Amino acid sequence: MTSARNRPEWGSNDTHALLNSDIPRVDGPEKVTGRAIYTHDIRLPQMVYARLVVCPYPRAKIKSQSYRKARKVPGVVHGAPFKEVGDSIAFQGADGVVGAIVAETPEAAAAGLCGVKIDYEVLEPVVTPEDALAPGAPVVGRRGNVTGLSSSGDRAEVEAALSECAAVVRGTFRVPVQHHVSLETHGVVVDYRGGNEATVYFSTQGVTGSNREFASHLDLPSENVRVVAHNVGGGFGAKFGGGIEGRIACELALELRRPVHLMLTREDEFLMAGNRSGSEQRVIAGASRDGVFKALAVEADRHGGVGRGALPTPPYIYSVGNTYSEIRSVHTATDSSRAMRAPGHPQASFAMESVLDELAYGINMDPVEFRKKNLADPVYHRQLDRVAKEIGWLEHPHRTQPGVPENALAVGIGFGVAIWGSRSRDITVVDVRIGPDGSVLAATGVQDIGQGARTLVAAIVAEELGLAAHEVSTDIGDSRLPPSVASGGSVTTGSLGPSVKDGAFNARVELAKRIAPMLDAEPEEIRFADHRVFVEGDSGRSVSWKQACASLGKDPLQVSGRFQPHLRDQGIHGAQAAKVEVDLLTGRVTVLKMVSIQDQGLPLNRMAIRSQMNGGMIQALSFALFEERVLDKKTGLMLSGNLENYKIAGCGEMPELVAIIDDEDTREAVMGMAEASNIPGHSAIGNAIYNACGLRLREMPFTPARVLQAKGGMS
Amino acid sequence: MTPDDRSPSEQDELDELSGLSRRSFLKGAGGGVVAGALAGGLAQPSTSEGVVPQEASAPGASTVSLSGRHQIALQVNGEQVLVDVEPQTTLLGALRHHVSPPMTGTKEVCDRGSCGACTVIVDGRPVYSCMQLADDMPGHAIRTIEGIGTPDDLSPVQEEFCRFDGLMCGFCTPGFIVASTACLEKHGAPDVDTIKRELSGNVCRCGTQTHIIRAVQAAGESGVLKGER
Ligand code: FES
Ligand code: FES
Repeated sequence: MTSARNRPEWGSNDTHALLNSDIPRVDGPEKVTGRAIYTHDIRLPQMVYARLVVCPYPRAKIKSQSYRKARKVPGVVHGAPFKEVGDSIAFQGADGVVGAIVAETPEAAAAGLCGVKIDYEVLEPVVTPEDALAPGAPVVGRRGNVTGLSSSGDRAEVEAALSECAAVVRGTFRVPVQHHVSLETHGVVVDYRGGNEATVYFSTQGVTGSNREFASHLDLPSENVRVVAHNVGGGFGAKFGGGIEGRIACELALELRRPVHLMLTREDEFLMAGNRSGSEQRVIAGASRDGVFKALAVEADRHGGVGRGALPTPPYIYSVGNTYSEIRSVHTATDSSRAMRAPGHPQASFAMESVLDELAYGINMDPVEFRKKNLADPVYHRQLDRVAKEIGWLEHPHRTQPGVPENALAVGIGFGVAIWGSRSRDITVVDVRIGPDGSVLAATGVQDIGQGARTLVAAIVAEELGLAAHEVSTDIGDSRLPPSVASGGSVTTGSLGPSVKDGAFNARVELAKRIAPMLDAEPEEIRFADHRVFVEGDSGRSVSWKQACASLGKDPLQVSGRFQPHLRDQGIHGAQAAKVEVDLLTGRVTVLKMVSIQDQGLPLNRMAIRSQMNGGMIQALSFALFEERVLDKKTGLMLSGNLENYKIAGCGEMPELVAIIDDEDTREAVMGMAEASNIPGHSAIGNAIYNACGLRLREMPFTPARVLQAKGGMS
Repeated sequence: MTPDDRSPSEQDELDELSGLSRRSFLKGAGGGVVAGALAGGLAQPSTSEGVVPQEASAPGASTVSLSGRHQIALQVNGEQVLVDVEPQTTLLGALRHHVSPPMTGTKEVCDRGSCGACTVIVDGRPVYSCMQLADDMPGHAIRTIEGIGTPDDLSPVQEEFCRFDGLMCGFCTPGFIVASTACLEKHGAPDVDTIKRELSGNVCRCGTQTHIIRAVQAAGESGVLKGER
């Protein structure tokens, strides 16, 4: 909106000149041509390549070690252990990093790694929760193998309520550990060559302030360390701090005084770069005959390795008469969980949406109706109705009981809903500069991790000034730029958008003041649209954008924007539906179609939002059908340590995806939505399998083996 | 220490460390054929159709040395490129680390033939460059992402990727663009099933697949031939 007011406003969502439309990414051309430079791609003079020596066993003791042969490999410049003979490795992941090799080329570093000889005494691995809970199990957590027990609600009240329910379901829901699988692995390139300054190229979700961490590793003043992340190949919650690899790269650079390139290999990434915690949720739930969710009891374990794991307190999203819950962390000697796109929510969603479904069928009620009956917020009602319509639920033949397949193929439909806070932080500052040549530059430290932050910055400024998005240059992903937020928890849009809007608004107001005398008008009358600057109501009195900027003389116009709380809001919903085909002979599940609807206030870039929704559905599909970390119980070795045995969904598995932006959300404010779109998809798929053929799968992923096992148990 | 200082047995051991295992693995597995087939999403067991007729017809292949750094000539995007490699250097490694200036558009994600981020076109067919030894490449025409359009002059399929948002973080994108280009050159205007099959050797974590499929379809339908410039 370019109307003159004394503070920036987005204006009504349906009156935008550029925002709320499909805006192609401004960095698309760089990325589709391979010209975009990621941390992996940094090449510096004198640079050396580091590889970590990683113990494959979760728990072990070093009996002997030799780096002698490794150091003799031509091209190897450094090879040394971090642990001594007799030291132990306490868990798989960071503690398993026992040494490093540095070489002139990646090939020499890899060869050097083969020359490291370490003899381990392999200790009892403790990689399953059962082993961790067994009497006399070695203690793997810092404060024991079970920590963080919290309970809420009154068990006796829940039991009393259950005894009056018409339908009661019991089940244990198991969610495996999932990996983030960012295609760019974690890592850094530390450019330190002695002296008092360093630049760190860092694949991160949080650029601003990360220079402090590296400065402390390098023992330099933090203002002398610059962190750069121009492009980041995915993060999904696992890429905040620099981690052990960041610290080691700094130490090596200090020692060698040469730039050090240390990117994890894919195998390292699976072993030590975090994961979504697994869970076991033991649930009892009950509903009355008329469809009221009366009682819920949940005992849950979080499986976050040496980390805490995540799981929201029940009940999740739905209103339940009486809830009792008991949640604890069960620690294994495995890599710590990290935040992953909506931490804890997909796990909670799976148990909650599944029992809800079971209750609905238990009282012969349409599961969409049952959901609506137990959701107070009307937004969910309209969203569920919309996805139900779009997936073909109203024409579906079996809606209150599962299908009875006539042949081997069964088709079913299932549902789930989402919730997310989408909070924001008030720290982002955006500098906007308009040059006398008509150029516009917007600068802030934020990083583009694929969510489209760069495009969002350019588009907000462009709309305010009546330009096209690609006509606004951006400078982002640098700790020396004005501060911005770390991208996690869907905070980027709500934290960044208001500051950019404020900067754009200030630039426009300032430019209008300069132009007004030229057009013989008051600054408040000046409008910007379609590359022209004109007087409202008198388009005859106008100049082109270029002429307007030329009038600045030789100095550019420079302003800043700051966070404006009234430009953002928080709190979003979301609903999804999935349609699947189950092959009862082979056990194979094929997802035929998924529908997602999402509210988010003002949709800044509709195309980027649809992409996020697709991403959420695809990751959920992949989680539902394929993904599972597998560790050998006896040795603790990882059996799913690269992409050939940790499968993620590809083009061949793509169903029809329908991503609907909920335009009935008319809030004139911005907020992020990526987490919500990742929450309910796998639950909807599980429910669709039940609707198809009556098989309730309580353990993910829904592999052919699990389908056949469930079928065997039935007959 | 120079190589001469070492006892023969030590030298043997060092040779072994210098990645001969990858070399023998790739040789043994007929890496070229397997990779080519996977990148194209086709399970063709035939070795007679290999993209890289190894020792036999490739000039230079018969004279490769088995240890130490040596220079080879690669034909990349129509130009002759001299590059120093080691016996275990893959085509991916040669492009990303050893040619000068480095060609980092081709991405490394798994380094073992299961993600497609490193896809290049060798003699007209899509190939996982992490599964090809650089030493086997002289005599073959290699096309990389750097040879398919520039930011100011995009190829038709690159334009459609931008138009349909077939990219998010962009790390898988070069591999998908190369595989899509090969798919369009082979099929002209492929249908959705063909596109899915041809791109099934490439993975994307951000979740751009459906937009990519639409972009490739649009590029095929627009009839502007096949990603050729
Ligand atoms: S890097 Fe070559 S296939 Fe993954
Ligand atoms: S766009 Fe990020 S992995 Fe494909």
